[in-house]
Amino acid sequence: MKILIIEDEQELLATMKNYLESEGFLCETALSYFEAEDSLSAYNYDIIVLDLTLPGGNGLDLIKIIRDRNKQAGLLIVSAKNSLDDKIKGLDMGADDYISKPFHLAELNSRIKSLARRRHFDGTNELLFNEIKINVDSNEVSVNGEKIDLTRKEYEILLYFMVNRDKLITRESIAEHVWGNDISYADNFDFIYSHIKNLRKKIGQKHGRNYLHNIYGMGYKFSDR
Amino acid sequence: MRLLKKTSRTYFFISALAFIVSGVVIYFVLSFIFEEQLNEKLMSDRMSVISNIEKDGSVPHFYPFVEVQEVPGQTEQPVISIDTLIFDVNEEENIPFRQISSVVPIKGHMYLVVVRDTLLEKGDLLMTIIIAIGVVFVLLNIGLYFINKRLSLKLWQPFYNTLDNLKGFSQDMPDFKLQHETKIDEFIELNKTLENLTSKVISDYQSLKRFTEDASHEIQTPLAVIQSKLETMMQYPDLKKDQAELIKSAYSSVQRISKLTQTLLLLAKIANDQFPEKRAINLSELLEEKVKLFEDHINVKSLFLKKEIEPNCFLKTNFLLAESMVINLVGNAVKHCITRGIISIKLNKNNLEISNSGVPFPVPSSKLFERFFKINKSSESLGLGLSIVKEICTLNRWKINYVYEDGQHKFIVGF
Repeated sequence: MKILIIEDEQELLATMKNYLESEGFLCETALSYFEAEDSLSAYNYDIIVLDLTLPGGNGLDLIKIIRDRNKQAGLLIVSAKNSLDDKIKGLDMGADDYISKPFHLAELNSRIKSLARRRHFDGTNELLFNEIKINVDSNEVSVNGEKIDLTRKEYEILLYFMVNRDKLITRESIAEHVWGNDISYADNFDFIYSHIKNLRKKIGQKHGRNYLHNIYGMGYKFSDR
Repeated sequence: MRLLKKTSRTYFFISALAFIVSGVVIYFVLSFIFEEQLNEKLMSDRMSVISNIEKDGSVPHFYPFVEVQEVPGQTEQPVISIDTLIFDVNEEENIPFRQISSVVPIKGHMYLVVVRDTLLEKGDLLMTIIIAIGVVFVLLNIGLYFINKRLSLKLWQPFYNTLDNLKGFSQDMPDFKLQHETKIDEFIELNKTLENLTSKVISDYQSLKRFTEDASHEIQTPLAVIQSKLETMMQYPDLKKDQAELIKSAYSSVQRISKLTQTLLLLAKIANDQFPEKRAINLSELLEEKVKLFEDHINVKSLFLKKEIEPNCFLKTNFLLAESMVINLVGNAVKHCITRGIISIKLNKNNLEISNSGVPFPVPSSKLFERFFKINKSSESLGLGLSIVKEICTLNRWKINYVYEDGQHKFIVGF
C-alpha cells in the first residue's frame, strides 16, 4: 500500500516514515506545497497524510487537488493549530479523518489502517494474529475459532494492539485512543490495567496465549516474541 | 422610550400648557371687553330714554330693560351701577343683569331712570372657550403626531439602518461593512466612527485568534517531534531498564507540557471569545455521556455515584465550552474524591451541582479558581481545570459557587 506523507517538519516526517515503513507501508514524502503538488500529479496513492500548515500554500487547497485527481485515496489531515475551523473545513472538503499534533505514532498507524480497511485496500475485513481473529465489520473476535465476548473498550484496546503489533504502545496512547483526549489528563492509569487484565483472562479461557507484555511500566507490547 | 413617543409627549405637554395659559388670557380679555361694551350701551340707552322724555314727555317702559318712574320729592342722584338677578318667566331661571339707576330732573319733574341689560354668563363664556380651545388642541396634537411620525421616520431612517446593521455585527466577520445611505452630517459621522470601531474590534480579534493558532502550531510541532522520537526510542528491542526509565520520564513531561499549552491556549481563546457559535444544548444528555466516560475511574476508586439528572435541560451556549465545563467539573470530582467516597451529580433547569467527598481545604475557597493553584503541590494535575470552568461561567454570565458541607466539596453552577 502506498502512502504519501506531506509534512514540512523534516524530523517529524522522518519518524512518521520510519514507523509506517516498519508497518509494511510504502512511503513517499513531500516537504512543501509544491513538492506535494508535484508528487500528486505524477503518481497515485492509496493513503495521503496531509499537514495543513505548509510553506508555499494552504494545505486546504491541496485537498481540492487530491480530490480532483485521486478520488479513491484515503485522506488523513494533520494539524497543529488545534483549530476547529480547519478541522470542519478539512472534513467538509473531503478529508476522511483528522488528527492533531502532537499525536502518538501508534494512533497515526491505527487511523491509517482503519482508513485502509474502510476502503478495503487489503481486500479483507479480517485481522489475524496466530490464534486470534478479529472481524472488523461485525466486531467479532475469536480465539482458536471460538468466539469471545468483549466489552466495547476491550475490543477497542485489542484492535489497537492488533494493528500496532510488535510495537510498544504507551498507556497515554491507549487512554487517548479508547477514552478520548478529554479524559487522558487523569493522573493514574489503573483503569487501563483492569481492562488489560480482563482481556488476558478472556483470551486465556479459550487457550489463547498471553501476547500482552508490560514493558518497564511504559506501556504494553502485543507480540509473540 | 421610543424617540417618537418622547417628542410627541413633549409636544403634548408644552402645547397643553400654552393652551391653558391662552385660555385664561382669552377669558379675562373677553370678559373685560364685554363689560366695557355693556357699560357703554347702558349709558347710551339711558341717554336716549332721557332725551325721549324730554322730547315728548312719553315715559318708556320696557321691563326689564327700561324702567322709568316719577319720584316726586326726591333729590337728584348720580348714576349707580349694580349687578342683579332677575327671574325670567320664559326661561324659568334667574338671569344676571347689570342695571344703572339714577334720579334725574326732566322738565321740572324728578324721574328714577333704570336701564338694564343682560350680563354675559361667565360659565357659558368659560365653557365656550374650553370647547373651542379643546377642539383646536386635539386637532393640533393629532396633526403633530402624524407629521412627527412621518418626519422622524424619514429623518431617522439612516440611524435605524445603522442600528439594524450593527445588530448583525459579530467580531468574527472580517468583511463587515456598514451601509451608508445618508446625506446628514451627524449620521455620516456616526457611521464613520462606528466603522472605525468595528474594524478595530475585528482586527484585534483576528490578530489574537491568529496568535493563539500560531502559538499552538509553533509549540505543538516541536512537541510532536520530541514525542515521536521518544516513541521510536521505546521500540528499541534491547532497551535496558534504566534507559526505559529516562525515556518514560521525558515522555510524561512532554505529555504534560503539551496538555499545559493546550489548556493555556484554551483559556486565551475563551477570554478572547473565540467560541461564537451558540445553540441549544441538551445538558442532561451531555452530562450523562461525560459521566459515562469516567465510569472506569469511578470503578477503580470504588466510588459511589449519586445521580439526579433532570432530563432535557436545555442551555443555549457553545457546545465545546459546555463540554469542557462538564468534563472539568466531573473529572475534578473524580480525581479529588477520596477512595470509596461519594460523588453526587445533580442537574435541573437552574443549577448544576457536582460534589465529592474529601477533607476540608486548608486555604480560602476563593483560591480554588486561581490559575495553577493546587492543594497538593506534588500532584500531577495542572491546576487549571477550575480556572477554565470559571472562565466559561464568566463568559456565559453563569454563577459558580463553592461550598463545603457534610464532608462534601460542592461546586454549584447557576444558569
